Amino acid sequence: MLGLGLPQRPPLVEETLKRIQSHKGVIGTMVVNAEGIPIRTTLDNSTTVQYAGLLHQLTMKARSTVRDIDPQNDLTFLRIRSKKHEIMVAPDKEYLLIVIQNPCE
Amino acid sequence: MPVSPVNSRKQQNLWLSVGPQPKKSISFTNTVKGGQTKGYLGANQSRMAMSKTLMVLPEIKTEKMNIPTVRTPIQVINALGVDVTPRPLYQQDPHMGTAKPNKLFTSQEGSYGSEYISSYSLYQNTINPSMLGQFTRSVLGSSTVSKSSVSTTDSIAEDLEEPSYRREKLTSFTDLRVMRATPEKIVTKEDLQKTIEIILTETETLRFFNLPTVMVSVESEEAAKVIRRNRTYETLCRNRLGNDLYVERMMQTINGAPKNKEVQCDKIVKEDKGIMSSTWDLYDSYNAMELSSLPTKQSMLESNTKASIVSKDHEPRVPGSTIEKNSEASSLMDIENVILTKIHDDEEDRSESIMKSDKFRQDLFFMERVLMENLFQPKLAAYRQLPVLKEPEPEEPEDFLEGEKLEQETEEEVKKEEEEEIEIRTEQSTIPANLERLWSFSCDLTKGLNVSSLAWNKTNPWPERIYQSPYGVTAVDFSIGAPNLLAVGYHNGNIAIYNVQSNSNVPVLDSSESPQKHLGPVWQLQWIEQDRGTTGDDKREILVSISADGRISKWVIRKGLDCHDLMRLRRTTTSNSKRGGEKEKKGEALISRQAPGMCFAFHPKDTNIYLAGTEEGHIHKCSCSYNEQYLDTYRGHKGPVYKIAWNPFCHDVFLSCSADWGVIIWQQESTTPFLSFYPTTYVVYDVAWSPKSSYIFAAANESRVEIWDLHVSTLDPLIVNVANPGIKFTTVLFAKQTDCLLVGDSDGQVAVYELRNMPTTLDSGRGDIINTLLGPKPNR
Repeated sequence: MLGLGLPQRPPLVEETLKRIQSHKGVIGTMVVNAEGIPIRTTLDNSTTVQYAGLLHQLTMKARSTVRDIDPQNDLTFLRIRSKKHEIMVAPDKEYLLIVIQNPCE
Repeated sequence: MPVSPVNSRKQQNLWLSVGPQPKKSISFTNTVKGGQTKGYLGANQSRMAMSKTLMVLPEIKTEKMNIPTVRTPIQVINALGVDVTPRPLYQQDPHMGTAKPNKLFTSQEGSYGSEYISSYSLYQNTINPSMLGQFTRSVLGSSTVSKSSVSTTDSIAEDLEEPSYRREKLTSFTDLRVMRATPEKIVTKEDLQKTIEIILTETETLRFFNLPTVMVSVESEEAAKVIRRNRTYETLCRNRLGNDLYVERMMQTINGAPKNKEVQCDKIVKEDKGIMSSTWDLYDSYNAMELSSLPTKQSMLESNTKASIVSKDHEPRVPGSTIEKNSEASSLMDIENVILTKIHDDEEDRSESIMKSDKFRQDLFFMERVLMENLFQPKLAAYRQLPVLKEPEPEEPEDFLEGEKLEQETEEEVKKEEEEEIEIRTEQSTIPANLERLWSFSCDLTKGLNVSSLAWNKTNPWPERIYQSPYGVTAVDFSIGAPNLLAVGYHNGNIAIYNVQSNSNVPVLDSSESPQKHLGPVWQLQWIEQDRGTTGDDKREILVSISADGRISKWVIRKGLDCHDLMRLRRTTTSNSKRGGEKEKKGEALISRQAPGMCFAFHPKDTNIYLAGTEEGHIHKCSCSYNEQYLDTYRGHKGPVYKIAWNPFCHDVFLSCSADWGVIIWQQESTTPFLSFYPTTYVVYDVAWSPKSSYIFAAANESRVEIWDLHVSTLDPLIVNVANPGIKFTTVLFAKQTDCLLVGDSDGQVAVYELRNMPTTLDSGRGDIINTLLGPKPNR
């Protein structure tokens, strides 16, 4: 729920987000809500919006696929590996957590 | 002609060709209004044909009301000047009949009726029931009265009975027979536009003929007569078939021309609506319907709350916002509407709630693990002994089991002797590690947990679980039967059992209140499965501890931790002299009789036998059955024995290490060392056998970790890994499934090393280490 209205985020969440961002190879971290509006991002706005829009659709499609096969199943995590990066998406009904990493090999 | 009964009038044999009669062909133009008159005309025509003297004035446009006025009696005079005006045979009795105003007789029908009547009255034949039906039908068919479905015959009948009927047409045969067409009125445009209500109703059933059956009793007087009549009738019917007296004739009715009328209704607006329904969509809708059928609506709301935070905001949308609905999902739980308008208040609130939500935290957690997995993927693959590909592919399924307490490790190649990155995993009360010793680090990664629960939370460089405890932890062990139980031994002698599934610091069980708790640091803890054939449970697990107060205790979990001493270690003297009874202490001034026990090891096969190492350097072989006596004592070490380990393959051999810098291999039967190693001048803290080979063991001393392979050499270790200066290696543990070694050091860190390029293990003769090494067993 909304709580007391104080814009306090639990410290653990903040700390974890910072830690994720500081991991080796991480290019960007984004949290966007269901409408595609970024809540927190380390990239610039246009990139964030682009990622959010595209990944939102892809997530929907992936979820639809998973659930078509078995309606009791649901999508929990999505990873897209490309030549340059890996995009990891943790979807939810209200938000999307996106991390772009360049796994150094 | 007398008035015939009503029925007779009905049979109008207009179409009977009674004698040749010239039929006047009267051409009727099509200007007659109303097709319904056609039939009538037909009838009229035939009538006229019969009448011979008929002069028909096909006056189309005649007002019927004018008829009485216009009509002039026609007089027919033949060539001789004789008035041969036919006179009607039938005079209607004006008093006859009942006044039955039939409102259907406005205008046209009445006129029809009159014509019919006047001619019908003239021609009457015998009633032929069979013809009657035909006739009526044909009349009806021909008349096709549009305004009413009442048969004209009926109207005729009624007309006759109507004295109120003002027309005198009946009286005069020479009445003007006019075509009573529908009076033409000028149809205005408004009339056309006017909505005319046409009410179609069904008339009541008309009974034309009702001849009820008369039942006559067989015994009555008239019975004979009736029977005779019936019989004659039957014969008549039978004879009728081929009889010339009876002629069957077909008639064709003249059907009026149908009129087509087209009607167009209002335009039906159609809307197309498309939905793409998928399997899950149907499933969701079905479930949502089921939920909504629950008596409490709130349950549905609750189940939807989290999901419908977005959708709830749909309602207060101000007009002017556009809501774009996807055409796909139509389920109640469809949240994937993309809304274009922004409402800032809601957003801010929601974003906060998102950040605070538990799910978000969890997702962050997972994300982090995934990241780390990516980073360490090659090393993880090496750990798992999977081929490391250049393009790494996702290997293991991730078990996000949070009940697992695992270390975080990185891989390393021992050959290269690099020390890789290290994670901190602490169980000590003071986090990182300025503890001297990391005794507790014998958390068996592989022991006590079944394979599936080897959850790879390896990517967290921070501990999975931290249990704060007030005292230094000196021993830990995971339970075998219940892998979520972790037994912890403290420096103060307490033993606590934690449940790693929970994060709480409070142990499940504690021995601090037990009267029999240890008084000295608990140096080793182990869960043992023991056969308890007598008590009925097979394989009960007990916790055995050994502590510096010289007691080896067995703890049983009943209502709390219940202690039972297995053995009290007593000081023994070095058996320089052959004294019987090794446990006698003599000649030494001892402060206590107890010898602090440092370690123990249960026999892998026979869990009744175990070895205990003491601070004195003695290793005692004891049995659970006796708690007073040792079975045997192995003397060889000069310093406290820190670790004893049975060889997993050869059950006669065990290994021990002690502070006297030495590692000794013993044989069970012999109380003197079998092999001893003194590689360095440092205290050896820990030894362990490799689970893969019976020749390999690892030893950790202060400065380095050594891997010995007895098959290769008994003089030198196979691999030596030197520690960073200042760090002492304190514990060593082999990983069961893979070729890895976990080494703990005094810095609070656990490193994972991979054993590479090890000499291949011999499958055969694993148990034969002694023989292989030294030939046949020395008989001692």
